[in-house]
Amino acid sequence: MALDYGSPASRRPTPAQAGETPAVPVDGVAIAATLATLICAAPAVAVIALALAPDRAGAAFGSNLLGDGAVGTFALVMLGGVGAVLFGAAAAWLVSLAQFPGRGLFEWLLVLPLAAPSYVLAYAYTGMTWANGSALEVRGLWGAAFIYAAGLYPYVYLAARAAFVSQSACALEAARTLGAKPRDVVWRVALPLARPGIAAGGALACMEIAADYGAAQHFGLTTLSTAVFRAWYAHGAPHVALQISAVLLLAALVFLVVERWARGRASYAGGSTRWRMLPRYELGPLGGGLAAVFCAALVLFGAALPLLWLGRLAVLHPHFVEVAEPFANSLLLSAGGAMGTLSLACAIAVAARRATGIGKASLYAAAMGYAAPGAVIAMGALALFGLAREAGWIGGLSSSLALAALLWGYAARFSAAGVGPIDAGLTRLSKGLDASARTLGAGPWRRFAEVDVPIAAPALAAAALILFVEILKELPATLILRPFDFDTLAVRAHAYASDERLLEAATPSLLIFLAGLLPIILLTRGLARSRAGQR
Amino acid sequence: MSSVTLSRVRRMYAGVAALDDVSLSAPEGKVLVLLGPSGSGKSTILRLVAGLEPVDGGEVRIGDEIVSAAGRTLPAERRRIGMVFQDYALFPHLTAGANVAFGLDKLARAERDAEALRWLDRVGLKHRAGAYPHELSGGEQQRVALARALAPKPRAVLLDEPFSGLDPVQRAHLRDASIAALAETRTTALFVTHDAEEALLVADRLAILKGGKLLQEGAPREAYDKPACVDAAAALGSINVFEGRAEDGVIATPFGPVAAPGLSLGAPARVAVRAEAIAVTPGSLARVVDVRPHGAHDLVRIEAQGVIWRALVPARTSLSDTVDVQIHSAGAFAFAAS
Repeated sequence: MALDYGSPASRRPTPAQAGETPAVPVDGVAIAATLATLICAAPAVAVIALALAPDRAGAAFGSNLLGDGAVGTFALVMLGGVGAVLFGAAAAWLVSLAQFPGRGLFEWLLVLPLAAPSYVLAYAYTGMTWANGSALEVRGLWGAAFIYAAGLYPYVYLAARAAFVSQSACALEAARTLGAKPRDVVWRVALPLARPGIAAGGALACMEIAADYGAAQHFGLTTLSTAVFRAWYAHGAPHVALQISAVLLLAALVFLVVERWARGRASYAGGSTRWRMLPRYELGPLGGGLAAVFCAALVLFGAALPLLWLGRLAVLHPHFVEVAEPFANSLLLSAGGAMGTLSLACAIAVAARRATGIGKASLYAAAMGYAAPGAVIAMGALALFGLAREAGWIGGLSSSLALAALLWGYAARFSAAGVGPIDAGLTRLSKGLDASARTLGAGPWRRFAEVDVPIAAPALAAAALILFVEILKELPATLILRPFDFDTLAVRAHAYASDERLLEAATPSLLIFLAGLLPIILLTRGLARSRAGQR
Repeated sequence: MSSVTLSRVRRMYAGVAALDDVSLSAPEGKVLVLLGPSGSGKSTILRLVAGLEPVDGGEVRIGDEIVSAAGRTLPAERRRIGMVFQDYALFPHLTAGANVAFGLDKLARAERDAEALRWLDRVGLKHRAGAYPHELSGGEQQRVALARALAPKPRAVLLDEPFSGLDPVQRAHLRDASIAALAETRTTALFVTHDAEEALLVADRLAILKGGKLLQEGAPREAYDKPACVDAAAALGSINVFEGRAEDGVIATPFGPVAAPGLSLGAPARVAVRAEAIAVTPGSLARVVDVRPHGAHDLVRIEAQGVIWRALVPARTSLSDTVDVQIHSAGAFAFAAS
């Protein structure tokens, strides 16, 4: 799942917008948004609808599988989620409100673990602990919880950090003048103000844990995600797979609702528009040293250690020739998927700005697709293709049809990840600029080429890059929907790891990791720029 | 340069009239100021003249050409009307020079750059031609916006509260410079503001709007001396309002009579008296509530029969606890109450 750039807030149309008569009788934006809504919502809706249909097989193993999966997912969400929240919130507080050696560096280093999908971390850590014959082996439930906490804490870190930074210094100083000691200010003002942000980040991390297939599968755990695969492949029971998918989808939607609700509440913390440098707590030599060690450990376990390990293996046991074809497939598929998803995201972003019914609907549909785990989206798409085949609309699932289904799945799952950055670009493209270009005599084509494109292009490029990398990293949907014998880097890494060929898995894992670093660098540059008081 | 004329223009937003039957005109080479509170429709008039929105009734003419009528709108890009936006709307991806050159695309490249520089020089910003908008101060951005609007030699220029984002000192300075530039180029201008003082300073002609309706149009002096209604009087300064009935051609207020020519006996009436039209002398008619300094004047609140009025008197006028009150007829107006 992508980094969250914030979705467009509900905007009231200005009178000028509301009163504008459309230039063409057929509203292209509304049509595109309708299409986007259908594309994004269809797989998830299909999963729910078909899961409710009467069970023809009536297999008893289904309820066992479902129960075991639910328990497993719940345990992982609890362990991994709590770990991510503790690590992320603590790191955010240190970096935003305290002063210690290396603080400025850690501010962006702490985001790096977002680059690696959980399955890549899992492959790296098993290899590492095997090779060392370490007593502290990363495996099982605790191993998975460690991977999630170490890899997903940045979701909490980013949200909590935004909350801490946006806190007005005045509120903190007001607490001081009212007699609160510095330590009391942390517990009574700073933390409560940041709580909604922490909750939103925690919900995102939990959503990721519930959606994860690769790491849980690697550690041999039964979760809802792995249960979907087991029902589908091991038991050949599509209906059971659909039912488990429906439960998984509902769980993800709960996290989505929590996240939205918390994010809505987070806005009360940032009420003050005046920005001043927050006074930082001097931690002293011992406290400062501990803070630096804590942050360094997070970066080390979440990113540096696995990256170095994978890099070492890839150099010592290079398998670049073997992964050449999956690499090319990944590039093609991710580029194609990013383009398709980007156009869908554009339609949604433009429609959402109009604040019409269909605009909002498309935003909700995209959010639902975004929350839905890849396995769920894939089951939904498969089920819909199955229905179409039964109806005689299409033939068998040929390679090209499978590719179409895969691109559809990506679009449904990742559109929302593109909407945020595109919306940010559209914000720069204010109505006033269009109006001023018109009063200067520029016709529609000149406005498009010389105003719209140059201003929105950086945002579009950022959105395209984010989508490209998200698709490159996506494992479960690709695994289910890909054409026969069509391997991507993620699929190949998974295949090697499943055969316990971790040396071979290192090369594709490393490539995925490195690709994941690109949008992170982009994000941290954006973070630095968006800081108030800084040019 | 051309005149700009609105005839019986109507504009609806979601069934509500933002402009209702408005007729006014900016004579060639003159500055027409549109004055009114927010929501009065003054910015809507600019958008209609610019062609950014259609009219729902009536017509807009530039010179002799009808550019807007119901169902027919000449696109903004073909009107040759310059506009300075409230937030300046400079293109963030272009330098100051390129912003000014944007509207000069009919010229050859070298000529265009020279012309843009000439306009930047005119507003005193030649040395900032290579700077991007975010590198310019608010006042500099405003000047670039003005140069950009004037450079293509538009038939008229529209200014939407162009100085509203600036501090008072800059504001006065830029206002003088802008008025000089408009006068020098003999530009027809529509200038929107909600600041009465600015309106009187800038206007050749003044239109006062409220709630989408035109209250009054005329020379600024005339608008100040002969307001068409209480709201029009209030738009140009602090007034005291009193409601009563006409008797013997006057209306008796607690502070003295106000002439009410043309009002029949017993007709309900509203009186507006400008604060600066009230003089006080030692006496016993009214009680002085308080006195506050107000620049060259003191603002005095006086009370009689439970009614409190405000008077602007020369600063440091020595006042006793009670005063007599004189109302200057030039600043006191009576209207039939509707």
